[in-house]
Amino acid sequence: MAVSQPTIRMRSKQSMKKLAGLSMAVVLATMMVVSSALAQPAMGADQATPPKLPGERALPGEGAGPYADPLEPFNSAMFNFNIDVDQWVVTPVAKGYSYVMPEQARQSVNNFFKNIGVIPRFANNLFQLHVYNAADELGRFGINSTLGVAGLFDVADSWFGMKPHNDDFGLTLGHYGIYSGAYVMLPFLGPSTVRDTVGLVVDGCMNPMSWLLPWYVTVPADVGSAAINAVNYRSLHPNQFEEADRYAVDLYGAVQDAYMQTRTAELKRLAQ
Amino acid sequence: MFGKNSSEYNLRAVHPAWASFCLVRMALGMLAGAILALTVMQAASPAPAWALPTPLDTVNQVINTSLPVLRDKKTPLPQRRRQLRDLLEQHFDFADMARIALGYHWRELNATQRSQFTALFTAFIENAYLSKIQDYSGQDVAVLGQNSEGEGFSRVRSQIIQPGKQPIKVDYLLRELDGDWKIYDVTVDAISIIANYRNQFNRVINDQGFDKLMGDMRAKQQQLQSSMGS
Repeated sequence: MAVSQPTIRMRSKQSMKKLAGLSMAVVLATMMVVSSALAQPAMGADQATPPKLPGERALPGEGAGPYADPLEPFNSAMFNFNIDVDQWVVTPVAKGYSYVMPEQARQSVNNFFKNIGVIPRFANNLFQLHVYNAADELGRFGINSTLGVAGLFDVADSWFGMKPHNDDFGLTLGHYGIYSGAYVMLPFLGPSTVRDTVGLVVDGCMNPMSWLLPWYVTVPADVGSAAINAVNYRSLHPNQFEEADRYAVDLYGAVQDAYMQTRTAELKRLAQ
Repeated sequence: MFGKNSSEYNLRAVHPAWASFCLVRMALGMLAGAILALTVMQAASPAPAWALPTPLDTVNQVINTSLPVLRDKKTPLPQRRRQLRDLLEQHFDFADMARIALGYHWRELNATQRSQFTALFTAFIENAYLSKIQDYSGQDVAVLGQNSEGEGFSRVRSQIIQPGKQPIKVDYLLRELDGDWKIYDVTVDAISIIANYRNQFNRVINDQGFDKLMGDMRAKQQQLQSSMGS
Protein backbone atom coordinates (compact mmCIF):
# COMPACT_ATOMS: atom_id res chain seq x y z
CA MET A 1 0.00 0.00 0.00
CA ALA A 2 1.14 3.42 -0.84
CA VAL A 3 -0.12 5.59 2.01
CA SER A 4 2.54 6.88 4.33
CA GLN A 5 0.56 9.43 6.31
CA PRO A 6 -0.59 8.18 9.70
CA THR A 7 -4.19 8.94 10.47
CA ILE A 8 -4.02 8.99 14.25
CA ARG A 9 -4.42 12.49 15.58
CA MET A 10 -4.88 14.33 18.83
CA ARG A 11 -8.43 15.23 19.65
CA SER A 12 -8.24 18.83 20.80
CA LYS A 13 -6.02 21.48 22.24
CA GLN A 14 -7.13 20.66 25.81
CA SER A 15 -6.34 16.99 25.67
CA MET A 16 -3.05 17.54 23.88
CA LYS A 17 -0.92 17.14 26.98
CA LYS A 18 -2.78 14.03 28.03
CA LEU A 19 -2.28 12.42 24.64
CA ALA A 20 1.33 13.44 24.45
CA GLY A 21 1.85 11.65 27.75
CA LEU A 22 -0.09 8.66 26.48
CA SER A 23 1.97 8.41 23.32
CA MET A 24 5.17 8.53 25.35
CA ALA A 25 3.77 5.73 27.50
CA VAL A 26 3.03 3.75 24.34
CA VAL A 27 6.58 4.33 23.16
CA LEU A 28 8.10 3.21 26.44
CA ALA A 29 5.82 0.20 26.79
CA THR A 30 6.60 -0.91 23.26
CA MET A 31 10.32 -0.45 23.77
CA MET A 32 10.08 -2.73 26.80
CA VAL A 33 8.02 -5.35 24.98
CA VAL A 34 10.28 -5.18 21.97
CA SER A 35 13.53 -5.39 23.88
CA SER A 36 12.39 -8.27 26.10
CA ALA A 37 10.45 -10.40 23.63
CA LEU A 38 12.69 -9.85 20.65
CA ALA A 39 16.10 -9.59 22.14
CA GLN A 40 17.42 -11.63 19.27
CA PRO A 41 17.45 -10.37 15.67
CA ALA A 42 14.52 -11.26 13.46
CA MET A 43 16.48 -13.53 11.15
CA GLY A 44 16.02 -17.23 11.75
CA ALA A 45 18.78 -18.83 13.74
CA ASP A 46 21.59 -20.39 11.78
CA GLN A 47 21.90 -24.05 12.53
CA ALA A 48 25.15 -25.97 12.53
CA THR A 49 27.09 -25.02 9.43
CA PRO A 50 27.94 -27.81 6.99
CA PRO A 51 31.54 -29.00 6.82
CA LYS A 52 33.71 -26.86 4.59
CA LEU A 53 36.87 -27.55 2.69
CA PRO A 54 39.88 -25.91 4.31
CA GLY A 55 39.96 -22.24 3.37
CA GLU A 56 36.46 -22.30 1.91
CA ARG A 57 34.24 -19.52 3.19
CA ALA A 58 30.48 -19.74 3.48
CA LEU A 59 28.59 -17.43 1.16
CA PRO A 60 26.70 -14.60 2.85
CA GLY A 61 23.22 -15.75 3.75
CA GLU A 62 24.05 -19.43 3.42
CA GLY A 63 22.13 -21.36 6.06
CA ALA A 64 19.86 -18.42 6.91
CA GLY A 65 16.10 -18.70 7.35
CA PRO A 66 12.99 -16.56 6.97
CA TYR A 67 12.08 -13.63 9.23
CA ALA A 68 10.43 -14.45 12.49
CA ASP A 69 6.78 -13.54 12.00
CA PRO A 70 4.74 -14.08 15.18
CA LEU A 71 1.85 -11.94 13.90
CA GLU A 72 1.62 -13.89 10.62
CA PRO A 73 -2.14 -14.75 10.78
CA PHE A 74 -3.07 -11.09 11.36
CA ASN A 75 -0.53 -9.88 8.80
CA SER A 76 -1.76 -12.32 6.17
CA ALA A 77 -5.34 -11.16 6.60
CA MET A 78 -4.30 -7.50 6.43
CA PHE A 79 -2.10 -8.19 3.40
CA ASN A 80 -5.06 -9.70 1.52
CA PHE A 81 -7.27 -6.84 2.68
CA ASN A 82 -4.76 -4.26 1.41
CA ILE A 83 -4.42 -6.04 -1.92
CA ASP A 84 -8.21 -6.05 -2.28
CA VAL A 85 -8.43 -2.34 -1.42
CA ASP A 86 -5.69 -1.67 -3.92
CA GLN A 87 -7.24 -3.79 -6.63
CA TRP A 88 -10.89 -2.74 -6.25
CA VAL A 89 -10.64 0.85 -4.98
CA VAL A 90 -7.26 2.54 -5.30
CA THR A 91 -6.22 1.24 -8.73
CA PRO A 92 -9.54 1.98 -10.53
CA VAL A 93 -9.62 5.48 -9.03
CA ALA A 94 -5.94 5.99 -9.87
CA LYS A 95 -6.60 4.92 -13.47
CA GLY A 96 -9.39 7.46 -13.94
CA TYR A 97 -7.35 10.09 -12.14
CA SER A 98 -4.27 9.55 -14.32
CA TYR A 99 -6.55 9.76 -17.37
CA VAL A 100 -7.55 13.33 -16.49
CA MET A 101 -4.29 14.47 -14.82
CA PRO A 102 -1.08 14.66 -16.87
CA GLU A 103 1.92 12.90 -15.36
CA GLN A 104 3.75 16.16 -14.68
CA ALA A 105 0.84 17.39 -12.58
CA ARG A 106 0.74 14.13 -10.65
CA GLN A 107 4.45 14.40 -10.00
CA SER A 108 3.79 17.90 -8.63
CA VAL A 109 1.07 16.60 -6.30
CA ASN A 110 3.59 14.05 -5.06
CA ASN A 111 6.14 16.83 -4.50
CA PHE A 112 3.53 18.87 -2.62
CA PHE A 113 2.84 16.04 -0.17
CA LYS A 114 6.55 15.43 0.34
CA ASN A 115 7.14 19.13 0.98
CA ILE A 116 4.48 19.47 3.69
CA GLY A 117 5.91 16.41 5.46
CA VAL A 118 9.06 18.31 6.34
CA ILE A 119 8.61 18.48 10.12
CA PRO A 120 9.17 14.77 10.94
CA ARG A 121 12.12 14.60 8.53
CA PHE A 122 13.70 17.72 10.03
CA ALA A 123 13.04 16.66 13.63
CA ASN A 124 14.29 13.10 13.23
CA ASN A 125 17.46 14.14 11.45
CA LEU A 126 18.01 16.46 14.42
CA PHE A 127 17.20 13.69 16.94
CA GLN A 128 19.95 11.61 15.33
CA LEU A 129 22.34 14.60 15.36
CA HIS A 130 22.46 14.73 11.55
CA VAL A 131 22.58 18.51 11.81
CA TYR A 132 23.53 19.16 8.19
CA ASN A 133 20.75 16.89 6.91
CA ALA A 134 18.27 18.69 9.15
CA ALA A 135 19.50 22.05 7.85
CA ASP A 136 19.17 20.72 4.28
CA GLU A 137 15.57 19.71 4.94
CA LEU A 138 14.78 23.16 6.33
CA GLY A 139 16.48 24.82 3.36
CA ARG A 140 14.64 22.55 0.92
CA PHE A 141 11.33 23.47 2.56
CA GLY A 142 12.11 27.18 2.32
CA ILE A 143 13.17 27.00 -1.33
CA ASN A 144 10.45 24.63 -2.53
CA SER A 145 7.66 26.47 -0.68
CA THR A 146 8.62 29.77 -2.36
CA LEU A 147 10.54 29.28 -5.62
CA GLY A 148 8.95 25.85 -6.05
CA VAL A 149 5.39 27.29 -5.87
CA ALA A 150 4.09 25.89 -2.55
CA GLY A 151 6.14 22.72 -2.98
CA LEU A 152 4.78 21.71 -6.39
CA PHE A 153 8.29 21.66 -7.87
CA ASP A 154 11.40 20.25 -6.25
CA VAL A 155 13.67 23.08 -7.40
CA ALA A 156 15.87 22.68 -4.32
CA ASP A 157 17.13 19.47 -5.95
CA SER A 158 16.99 20.39 -9.63
CA TRP A 159 18.44 23.92 -9.28
CA PHE A 160 20.51 23.75 -6.10
CA GLY A 161 21.31 20.05 -5.88
CA MET A 162 19.90 19.79 -2.34
CA LYS A 163 18.84 16.16 -1.99
CA PRO A 164 16.07 15.05 0.39
CA HIS A 165 17.10 13.21 3.57
CA ASN A 166 14.26 10.88 4.40
CA ASP A 167 13.94 10.15 8.07
CA ASP A 168 11.26 9.15 10.55
CA PHE A 169 10.87 8.28 14.20
CA GLY A 170 11.07 4.54 13.51
CA LEU A 171 14.58 5.15 12.19
CA THR A 172 15.41 7.34 15.18
CA LEU A 173 14.44 4.48 17.51
CA GLY A 174 16.50 2.09 15.37
CA HIS A 175 19.40 4.52 15.37
CA TYR A 176 19.51 4.34 19.16
CA GLY A 177 19.55 0.55 19.18
CA ILE A 178 15.86 -0.38 19.48
CA TYR A 179 15.17 -3.64 17.60
CA SER A 180 12.54 -3.58 14.89
CA GLY A 181 10.29 -5.99 16.78
CA ALA A 182 7.73 -8.13 14.99
CA TYR A 183 6.73 -7.47 11.40
CA VAL A 184 3.26 -5.88 11.17
CA MET A 185 1.09 -5.41 8.10
CA LEU A 186 -1.00 -2.32 8.80
CA PRO A 187 -4.39 -1.92 7.15
CA PHE A 188 -4.23 0.80 4.44
CA LEU A 189 -0.71 1.84 5.48
CA GLY A 190 1.17 -1.26 4.34
CA PRO A 191 4.20 -3.10 5.75
CA SER A 192 5.72 -1.97 9.05
CA THR A 193 7.15 -3.29 12.29
CA VAL A 194 6.19 -2.71 15.92
CA ARG A 195 8.96 -0.11 16.18
CA ASP A 196 8.05 1.64 12.94
CA THR A 197 4.34 1.72 13.87
CA VAL A 198 5.29 3.58 17.06
CA GLY A 199 7.34 5.84 14.82
CA LEU A 200 4.33 6.51 12.59
CA VAL A 201 2.25 7.57 15.59
CA VAL A 202 4.97 9.86 16.95
CA ASP A 203 5.62 11.42 13.52
CA GLY A 204 1.86 11.93 13.10
CA CYS A 205 1.78 13.89 16.35
CA MET A 206 4.30 16.32 14.87
CA ASN A 207 1.73 17.72 12.46
CA PRO A 208 1.11 21.29 13.71
CA MET A 209 -2.41 21.25 12.30
CA SER A 210 -3.39 18.67 14.90
CA TRP A 211 -2.42 21.11 17.67
CA LEU A 212 -4.26 24.10 16.22
CA LEU A 213 -7.50 22.67 14.88
CA PRO A 214 -10.22 20.53 16.49
CA TRP A 215 -10.24 16.80 15.73
CA TYR A 216 -13.39 16.89 13.59
CA VAL A 217 -11.45 19.06 11.16
CA THR A 218 -8.02 17.39 11.32
CA VAL A 219 -9.10 13.73 11.19
CA PRO A 220 -11.21 14.00 8.00
CA ALA A 221 -8.58 16.31 6.49
CA ASP A 222 -5.82 13.78 7.23
CA VAL A 223 -7.80 10.82 5.94
CA GLY A 224 -8.68 12.81 2.83
CA SER A 225 -5.12 13.91 2.14
CA ALA A 226 -3.81 10.40 2.80
CA ALA A 227 -6.34 9.01 0.32
CA ILE A 228 -5.38 11.60 -2.32
CA ASN A 229 -1.70 10.88 -1.68
CA ALA A 230 -2.32 7.13 -2.05
CA VAL A 231 -4.24 7.47 -5.31
CA ASN A 232 -1.67 9.92 -6.65
CA TYR A 233 1.25 7.66 -5.69
CA ARG A 234 -0.44 4.64 -7.26
CA SER A 235 -1.02 6.58 -10.49
CA LEU A 236 2.73 7.25 -10.66
CA HIS A 237 3.55 3.57 -10.02
CA PRO A 238 0.84 1.84 -12.07
CA ASN A 239 2.43 -1.58 -12.38
CA GLN A 240 4.06 -1.94 -9.01
CA PHE A 241 2.07 -4.99 -7.81
CA GLU A 242 1.86 -6.61 -11.22
CA GLU A 243 5.64 -6.34 -11.53
CA ALA A 244 6.28 -7.71 -8.04
CA ASP A 245 3.80 -10.55 -8.52
CA ARG A 246 5.35 -11.50 -11.85
CA TYR A 247 8.63 -12.43 -10.21
CA ALA A 248 7.41 -13.49 -6.79
CA VAL A 249 6.75 -17.08 -5.81
CA ASP A 250 5.24 -15.87 -2.51
CA LEU A 251 4.18 -12.22 -2.73
CA TYR A 252 3.70 -11.82 1.04
CA GLY A 253 7.28 -12.95 1.66
CA ALA A 254 8.61 -10.74 -1.14
CA VAL A 255 6.94 -7.62 0.29
CA GLN A 256 7.99 -8.51 3.84
CA ASP A 257 11.62 -8.98 2.88
CA ALA A 258 11.69 -5.87 0.67
CA TYR A 259 10.42 -3.79 3.60
CA MET A 260 12.86 -5.28 6.11
CA GLN A 261 15.86 -4.92 3.76
CA THR A 262 14.92 -1.34 2.88
CA ARG A 263 14.68 -0.32 6.54
CA THR A 264 17.98 -2.05 7.36
CA ALA A 265 19.64 -0.21 4.47
CA GLU A 266 18.19 3.14 5.63
CA LEU A 267 19.54 2.57 9.13
CA LYS A 268 22.93 1.69 7.69
CA ARG A 269 22.89 4.84 5.56
CA LEU A 270 22.05 6.96 8.61
CA ALA A 271 24.82 5.36 10.65
CA GLN A 272 27.47 6.53 8.17
CA MET B 1 83.81 -18.58 -5.61
CA PHE B 2 83.32 -19.12 -1.86
CA GLY B 3 84.16 -21.93 0.54
CA LYS B 4 86.40 -24.93 -0.07
CA ASN B 5 85.32 -25.59 -3.67
CA SER B 6 86.33 -22.16 -4.89
CA SER B 7 89.42 -23.47 -6.77
CA GLU B 8 87.33 -26.02 -8.68
CA TYR B 9 84.90 -23.27 -9.56
CA ASN B 10 87.60 -20.97 -10.89
CA LEU B 11 88.88 -23.66 -13.23
CA ARG B 12 85.53 -23.96 -14.95
CA ALA B 13 84.63 -20.29 -14.93
CA VAL B 14 84.93 -18.22 -18.05
CA HIS B 15 86.03 -14.62 -18.09
CA PRO B 16 83.58 -12.53 -16.02
CA ALA B 17 83.08 -10.01 -18.81
CA TRP B 18 82.12 -12.76 -21.24
CA ALA B 19 79.80 -14.35 -18.69
CA SER B 20 77.97 -11.13 -18.04
CA PHE B 21 77.68 -10.48 -21.79
CA CYS B 22 76.12 -13.93 -22.19
CA LEU B 23 73.69 -13.31 -19.35
CA VAL B 24 72.63 -9.93 -20.72
CA ARG B 25 72.12 -11.39 -24.19
CA MET B 26 70.05 -14.25 -22.79
CA ALA B 27 67.95 -11.83 -20.77
CA LEU B 28 67.39 -9.58 -23.77
CA GLY B 29 66.43 -12.53 -25.94
CA MET B 30 63.96 -13.81 -23.37
CA LEU B 31 62.46 -10.36 -22.93
CA ALA B 32 62.03 -9.94 -26.69
CA GLY B 33 60.43 -13.37 -26.92
CA ALA B 34 58.12 -12.63 -24.03
CA ILE B 35 57.03 -9.31 -25.51
CA LEU B 36 56.33 -10.95 -28.85
CA ALA B 37 54.37 -13.76 -27.23
CA LEU B 38 52.33 -11.39 -25.08
CA THR B 39 51.55 -9.14 -28.03
CA VAL B 40 50.21 -12.11 -29.93
CA MET B 41 48.18 -13.23 -26.91
CA GLN B 42 46.81 -9.76 -26.36
CA ALA B 43 45.77 -9.49 -29.98
CA ALA B 44 44.01 -12.84 -29.67
CA SER B 45 42.07 -12.15 -26.45
CA PRO B 46 40.49 -8.89 -25.27
CA ALA B 47 41.89 -9.07 -21.73
CA PRO B 48 45.61 -9.42 -21.05
CA ALA B 49 46.10 -13.12 -20.50
CA TRP B 50 48.67 -12.76 -17.74
CA ALA B 51 46.43 -10.71 -15.44
CA LEU B 52 43.60 -12.25 -13.41
CA PRO B 53 40.29 -10.60 -14.33
CA THR B 54 38.99 -8.29 -11.62
CA PRO B 55 35.37 -8.12 -10.38
CA LEU B 56 35.10 -4.88 -12.32
CA ASP B 57 36.12 -6.73 -15.52
CA THR B 58 33.33 -9.26 -15.07
CA VAL B 59 30.65 -6.62 -14.48
CA ASN B 60 31.93 -4.40 -17.27
CA GLN B 61 31.86 -7.33 -19.63
CA VAL B 62 28.28 -8.20 -18.65
CA ILE B 63 27.14 -4.60 -19.11
CA ASN B 64 29.13 -3.83 -22.24
CA THR B 65 27.97 -7.04 -23.91
CA SER B 66 24.32 -6.84 -22.88
CA LEU B 67 23.60 -3.15 -23.61
CA PRO B 68 24.15 -3.45 -27.40
CA VAL B 69 21.95 -6.57 -27.44
CA LEU B 70 19.23 -4.75 -25.46
CA ARG B 71 19.44 -1.72 -27.78
CA ASP B 72 19.39 -3.80 -30.96
CA LYS B 73 15.65 -3.97 -31.72
CA LYS B 74 16.16 -5.28 -35.25
CA THR B 75 17.51 -8.73 -34.45
CA PRO B 76 14.67 -11.19 -33.66
CA LEU B 77 13.86 -11.42 -29.94
CA PRO B 78 14.60 -15.18 -29.55
CA GLN B 79 18.08 -14.67 -30.95
CA ARG B 80 18.79 -11.75 -28.60
CA ARG B 81 17.49 -13.82 -25.69
CA ARG B 82 19.86 -16.62 -26.66
CA GLN B 83 22.83 -14.24 -26.70
CA LEU B 84 21.93 -12.88 -23.27
CA ARG B 85 21.31 -16.34 -21.84
CA ASP B 86 24.83 -17.35 -22.89
CA LEU B 87 26.18 -14.24 -21.20
CA LEU B 88 24.33 -15.04 -17.95
CA GLU B 89 25.54 -18.64 -17.96
CA GLN B 90 29.09 -17.43 -18.38
CA HIS B 91 29.22 -14.86 -15.58
CA PHE B 92 26.56 -15.85 -13.03
CA ASP B 93 27.14 -18.52 -10.44
CA PHE B 94 23.66 -20.10 -10.49
CA ALA B 95 24.66 -23.12 -8.41
CA ASP B 96 25.65 -20.94 -5.46
CA MET B 97 22.66 -18.65 -6.00
CA ALA B 98 20.29 -21.60 -5.72
CA ARG B 99 22.05 -22.88 -2.59
CA ILE B 100 21.95 -19.61 -0.65
CA ALA B 101 18.40 -18.89 -1.87
CA LEU B 102 17.26 -22.01 -0.03
CA GLY B 103 18.99 -21.04 3.23
CA TYR B 104 19.08 -23.77 5.88
CA HIS B 105 16.64 -25.95 3.95
CA TRP B 106 19.40 -26.79 1.47
CA ARG B 107 20.91 -29.20 4.01
CA GLU B 108 17.70 -31.19 4.28
CA LEU B 109 17.56 -31.97 0.55
CA ASN B 110 19.03 -35.03 -1.12
CA ALA B 111 21.21 -34.84 -4.22
CA THR B 112 18.29 -35.31 -6.67
CA GLN B 113 16.20 -32.59 -5.01
CA ARG B 114 19.19 -30.25 -5.01
CA SER B 115 19.91 -30.67 -8.71
CA GLN B 116 16.20 -30.39 -9.58
CA PHE B 117 15.89 -27.20 -7.57
CA THR B 118 19.08 -25.69 -9.00
CA ALA B 119 17.93 -26.35 -12.59
CA LEU B 120 14.45 -24.92 -11.96
CA PHE B 121 15.79 -21.89 -10.08
CA THR B 122 18.31 -21.15 -12.85
CA ALA B 123 15.61 -21.31 -15.54
CA PHE B 124 13.29 -19.17 -13.39
CA ILE B 125 15.84 -16.41 -12.77
CA GLU B 126 17.00 -16.40 -16.40
CA ASN B 127 13.45 -16.17 -17.72
CA ALA B 128 12.46 -13.51 -15.19
CA TYR B 129 15.16 -11.35 -16.77
CA LEU B 130 14.87 -12.45 -20.41
CA SER B 131 11.07 -12.05 -20.54
CA LYS B 132 11.41 -8.32 -19.91
CA ILE B 133 14.19 -7.31 -22.29
CA GLN B 134 11.81 -5.85 -24.88
CA ASP B 135 10.79 -3.21 -22.28
CA TYR B 136 14.29 -1.73 -22.20
CA SER B 137 14.04 1.92 -23.25
CA GLY B 138 17.60 3.12 -23.66
CA GLN B 139 18.68 3.73 -20.04
CA ASP B 140 22.40 4.05 -19.50
CA VAL B 141 24.40 2.24 -16.87
CA ALA B 142 27.26 3.82 -14.93
CA VAL B 143 29.69 1.50 -13.15
CA LEU B 144 30.89 3.37 -10.05
CA GLY B 145 33.62 1.11 -8.66
CA GLN B 146 34.39 -1.99 -6.64
CA ASN B 147 34.79 -2.68 -2.93
CA SER B 148 36.40 -5.73 -1.43
CA GLU B 149 34.06 -7.66 0.87
CA GLY B 150 36.79 -9.82 2.35
CA GLU B 151 39.17 -12.31 0.75
CA GLY B 152 37.61 -13.67 -2.45
CA PHE B 153 34.45 -11.54 -2.22
CA SER B 154 33.68 -8.24 -3.89
CA ARG B 155 30.90 -5.72 -4.54
CA VAL B 156 30.70 -3.71 -7.75
CA ARG B 157 28.45 -0.63 -7.53
CA SER B 158 26.52 0.69 -10.51
CA GLN B 159 23.59 2.93 -11.33
CA ILE B 160 20.87 2.80 -13.96
CA ILE B 161 20.44 6.37 -15.13
CA GLN B 162 16.85 7.44 -15.84
CA PRO B 163 16.41 10.96 -17.17
CA GLY B 164 14.32 13.12 -14.82
CA LYS B 165 14.20 10.47 -12.08
CA GLN B 166 16.44 9.27 -9.29
CA PRO B 167 18.93 6.68 -10.56
CA ILE B 168 18.38 3.04 -9.54
CA LYS B 169 21.30 1.69 -7.51
CA VAL B 170 22.37 -1.77 -8.64
CA ASP B 171 25.17 -3.62 -6.85
CA TYR B 172 26.71 -6.86 -8.11
CA LEU B 173 28.07 -9.25 -5.48
CA LEU B 174 30.87 -11.42 -6.79
CA ARG B 175 33.04 -14.27 -5.56
CA GLU B 176 36.30 -15.62 -6.86
CA LEU B 177 35.80 -19.02 -8.43
CA ASP B 178 38.47 -20.95 -10.34
CA GLY B 179 40.52 -17.86 -11.19
CA ASP B 180 37.49 -15.90 -12.36
CA TRP B 181 34.93 -13.62 -10.69
CA LYS B 182 31.32 -14.81 -10.77
CA ILE B 183 28.19 -12.89 -9.80
CA TYR B 184 26.22 -14.65 -7.04
CA ASP B 185 23.74 -11.91 -6.07
CA VAL B 186 22.40 -8.57 -7.32
CA THR B 187 20.96 -5.85 -5.10
CA VAL B 188 18.49 -3.32 -6.49
CA ASP B 189 18.10 -0.19 -4.34
CA ALA B 190 19.77 -2.10 -1.48
CA ILE B 191 17.37 -5.08 -1.75
CA SER B 192 19.24 -8.33 -2.28
CA ILE B 193 17.37 -10.42 -4.84
CA ILE B 194 18.61 -13.72 -3.44
CA ALA B 195 17.76 -12.77 0.15
CA ASN B 196 14.29 -11.76 -1.04
CA TYR B 197 13.78 -15.15 -2.66
CA ARG B 198 15.20 -16.88 0.41
CA ASN B 199 12.45 -15.38 2.58
CA GLN B 200 9.79 -16.44 0.05
CA PHE B 201 11.17 -19.97 -0.43
CA ASN B 202 11.65 -20.59 3.28
CA ARG B 203 8.13 -19.41 4.07
CA VAL B 204 6.63 -21.77 1.49
CA ILE B 205 8.77 -24.72 2.62
CA ASN B 206 8.01 -24.13 6.31
CA ASP B 207 4.27 -23.79 5.72
CA GLN B 208 3.64 -26.25 2.90
CA GLY B 209 6.80 -28.23 2.19
CA PHE B 210 9.47 -28.46 -0.50
CA ASP B 211 7.21 -30.13 -3.09
CA LYS B 212 4.75 -27.25 -2.90
CA LEU B 213 7.60 -24.80 -3.51
CA MET B 214 8.72 -26.76 -6.57
CA GLY B 215 5.13 -26.81 -7.87
CA ASP B 216 4.68 -23.05 -7.33
CA MET B 217 8.01 -22.29 -9.00
CA ARG B 218 7.24 -24.53 -11.94
CA ALA B 219 3.90 -22.75 -12.45
CA LYS B 220 5.60 -19.35 -12.27
CA GLN B 221 8.35 -20.48 -14.61
CA GLN B 222 5.80 -21.73 -17.17
CA GLN B 223 3.96 -18.42 -16.91
CA LEU B 224 7.18 -16.54 -17.70
CA GLN B 225 8.04 -19.00 -20.46
CA SER B 226 4.67 -18.59 -22.18
CA SER B 227 4.87 -14.80 -21.88
CA MET B 228 8.02 -15.03 -24.00
CA GLY B 229 6.09 -16.92 -26.67
CA SER B 230 8.67 -19.65 -27.09
